[in-house]
Amino acid sequence: MFSTNLVEGDMPRDTNDLLHGTLDLLVLKAISWQPTHGYGISKWIEQRTQDELQIVDSALYKCLHRLEDRRAIATEWGLSDNNRRAKYYSLTARGRQMLRAETATWQRYVAAVSGVLETA
Amino acid sequence: MLRELDDEMQSHLEMRIDEFRALGLSEAEAGAEALRRFGDTDEFRAYAARRAARQTRLHGAREWLGELLQDIHFARRQFQKAPGFTLIAVLTLALGIGANTAIFSVVHRLLLAPLPYPNGNRIVMPMQEDARGLRASVDSQVIHAWQARGQSIDMMAGASIGNFDVRADGTVDSLPFALVTSNYLQVLGVQPALGRAFTPEEERSGELVAMIGYELWQRAHGGRDNVLGSTVRFDEKTYTVVGVTPRGLGVPMSQDAPPDIWMPLPKGAGVGTPGVFARLRRGVSAEDASRELQAIAASLPDPGQPGLHVRAMRAQDFLDAREARMVQVLFVAVGALLLIACANVANLLLARAWTRRREFAVRVALGAGRWRLARQVLTESVLLALAGGILGVVVAWQTLRIIIALRPPALEHLADVHIEPAVLLWSAVISVTTGILFGCAPALYAGARTVGEALRSETRTGSAGVVSRWARSALIVLEIAMSLVLLVGAGLLVRSFVELQRMPLGFEPRGLVAVEVILGLPRNRDRRLALRDAIMERLRSVPGVTRIAVGMIPGKGYMGGGLETESDGVGAVTRAQALGTSFISPNYFHVAGIAVLEGHVPDSSASTEAWKTGRMALSPQVVVNRDLARRLWPNGGAIGSRVRTPADPDEKNSVKPWATVVGVVDDIHMPGLRGEARTLQVYSLIHPRLGDVVFLVRTSIPGTAAAPAIHRAITSIDRSLLVRPALSGEVYLHDSLAPTRFAMALLTAFAIIALLLSAAGLYGVIAYSVTQRTREIGVRVALGAEPNAVRRLVMGRALRLAAAGILAGSVAAAASTRVLASLLYGVSPADPLTFSMIALLVATIALLASYVPARRALRIDPIEALRAD
Repeated sequence: MFSTNLVEGDMPRDTNDLLHGTLDLLVLKAISWQPTHGYGISKWIEQRTQDELQIVDSALYKCLHRLEDRRAIATEWGLSDNNRRAKYYSLTARGRQMLRAETATWQRYVAAVSGVLETA
Repeated sequence: MLRELDDEMQSHLEMRIDEFRALGLSEAEAGAEALRRFGDTDEFRAYAARRAARQTRLHGAREWLGELLQDIHFARRQFQKAPGFTLIAVLTLALGIGANTAIFSVVHRLLLAPLPYPNGNRIVMPMQEDARGLRASVDSQVIHAWQARGQSIDMMAGASIGNFDVRADGTVDSLPFALVTSNYLQVLGVQPALGRAFTPEEERSGELVAMIGYELWQRAHGGRDNVLGSTVRFDEKTYTVVGVTPRGLGVPMSQDAPPDIWMPLPKGAGVGTPGVFARLRRGVSAEDASRELQAIAASLPDPGQPGLHVRAMRAQDFLDAREARMVQVLFVAVGALLLIACANVANLLLARAWTRRREFAVRVALGAGRWRLARQVLTESVLLALAGGILGVVVAWQTLRIIIALRPPALEHLADVHIEPAVLLWSAVISVTTGILFGCAPALYAGARTVGEALRSETRTGSAGVVSRWARSALIVLEIAMSLVLLVGAGLLVRSFVELQRMPLGFEPRGLVAVEVILGLPRNRDRRLALRDAIMERLRSVPGVTRIAVGMIPGKGYMGGGLETESDGVGAVTRAQALGTSFISPNYFHVAGIAVLEGHVPDSSASTEAWKTGRMALSPQVVVNRDLARRLWPNGGAIGSRVRTPADPDEKNSVKPWATVVGVVDDIHMPGLRGEARTLQVYSLIHPRLGDVVFLVRTSIPGTAAAPAIHRAITSIDRSLLVRPALSGEVYLHDSLAPTRFAMALLTAFAIIALLLSAAGLYGVIAYSVTQRTREIGVRVALGAEPNAVRRLVMGRALRLAAAGILAGSVAAAASTRVLASLLYGVSPADPLTFSMIALLVATIALLASYVPARRALRIDPIEALRAD
């Protein structure tokens, strides 16, 4: 389920060694409330993780393209808060379904790994 | 695509810069930081370009596919609107393509790839021929020299076939077997279906191992693995089965069914029929190999019989010239059938393009490009062709089944013919090419017309486009002409078949029954003679039996024995291979009804004395048939000349004694008699100790009805006697007519289909022209034209077309039926009766085809017709 590829980019930060699937999950979650542009998604993840996770921008956009190709998200041009033209991403029905499934998998995975770590 | 991404990145970077500026960085610092946060920009740019390119491609393909789907959808609607047209077009094509594929499969099997093995086209059989074209057996020293020094060949294998008896309940059936060298499968390039082939060690040491044929494995062992390790009894020895040969594996150049049992060829045994095979090195032709092998044979210190030429025979070379011709004729015939089918469909499409001109004009007016319209018509044609092609494969499959069921015994190996992948490809190419060909004309027509032209001609429903009308008339004339050629060919074959059944055969097959009895158990000579006499005596009392002799049904003697002749009494010997030997009783010719032309038939008293050699050797006095006498002694003097069977090369002191020719008898002419082993015959008195005796019985009971009583009469003498299934003269005659019947049936079927297609085409054209001329006819009727005049108007055109077709077809037929000459008997390729009957038939069919449209023309109501526009 989780590929072992690391997030691309040359930022030498531990927190960026995120698994692909994890990034997909975070992005889906970020736009699940309301349509958001790329910068907004990046900010959302930083805030929610108290700056623990900083995503390289190019990796984020590749992730968005990937999800778009899988028809999990739809795009639309709009105006940002400070009146800049920006591309907004929102979840499709398929994306919502994917988010639910991936969340459940993630929770099982975390539970399993924690279980191992606790007994160790 | 790329542009949009650029915009997005631009706005993203600006938002980042705003963020860093808000944190107090300078413009430059904020910019640098934003870029740092972005990651590898070069890499991202390359990625973006790749992605954009992929999306453009996808988009293009999607658009193209969309248009195609639209075309297909539209074509389907068109087909639904005209179901009759669609059905006729598809069926017509299916018949043409199907027949073509089936016949091409047969041609492929017989002529292009007669040996269905990976190395099939590299297998040759080196033979030696003398100046008279008689084949001589190849010496083992020559074979060894070829094997050691031949550069044009890379491997040699030997195979000898025979039949071995399986006995049950007093009857004997025979299973074909083969003795082969251990490299046999390797030379052909095949693998055992199960287990393994023999090893060279097993071949050398004479190990008792066997492989069984795939068919026997399926039949008797249900295809189970436990056949390996089981045993087979053959010639008093027990063989262990080590493998199963691949499906359909036979022996090249043999016409017989695939062997059921395969055993190693014993070392030192001379290779029997068919003999030695060589695999040509890649890229070497049979002619080159012949030259090299000839040079090697000639360089040997003892070249053997002088004047022999080596010929590396390919499987194709063994196909009887008449059979090859038959296959070629059928191939041309189905080609013509396909052409007729295509012409018919082209005609239909042309007619439709004309009726659809309003639709096209409207579409052009609405902005459809010409290319788009042409593409639409082309799509329809290709779809029709594909549907015809797919249905054609079904037709081909059925046709092949019929061909296999009807195959003559001489083409026994046709049993495994199937639709080859190559043939499927051929079929696909034909159907698509056909689609493009006949799609072309209407497509150009649709494309070339301008809106103005189309709409202008729309206002008057006068005569159709002159070019179109002309083209369609030409197509019909062509169809009728080709049908006529096919019909004349079929007619000639039918007449020739009738003549063949009246052909003098040289003997009287009706009422003859032959039964082979195996006297069994080693018995002494007197016991065997007594048993033979007892059987003859008992058979005389069977109801219906009038005369009894010993000997096979004429033309069915033992095959392949060689014969040496003494040339001019000076001790020189010439040898001929492949002729038949029949072992007979003195009254054989009388019972069979064969005329003695010269000399006399030896009587048994003359032979008992000096006759000490082997059972298969000739009696001291023999009879030959006229053809053999002419071949061996072209200047006459057969009577008194001496002949003998060749010595066994592997046995010392086995030189056979000379036999004197005392009589010459008439030849046997059987329609299916092929090969010198059948037409050249030596008749020898039967050796008293020969254990297998064939009794030839003449009865007044037709067919095989007398066989059971004969069988019972024989086994009532001694229950240990084994009797092979009886062969009746009628069945033999029927089988020998089979190749001609086969060709005749197929060609007739094709010709009739062709005629029906042409009739349908003619009907279509005439019916269409009546529709076109509704208005004109209406005017004529309104002006008081007689019904006869209207009928003449309509049918006159049909008859003019038919007459042109018949004329062109007769000329073409006269020029082409000569290729049939070798298939004909008793009828000339230019037979006037056949030609005139067929012309009359075609004219009648043309009249019938135009009769229905003519009647419709008569029913035209002038008022309706004039109001129509």
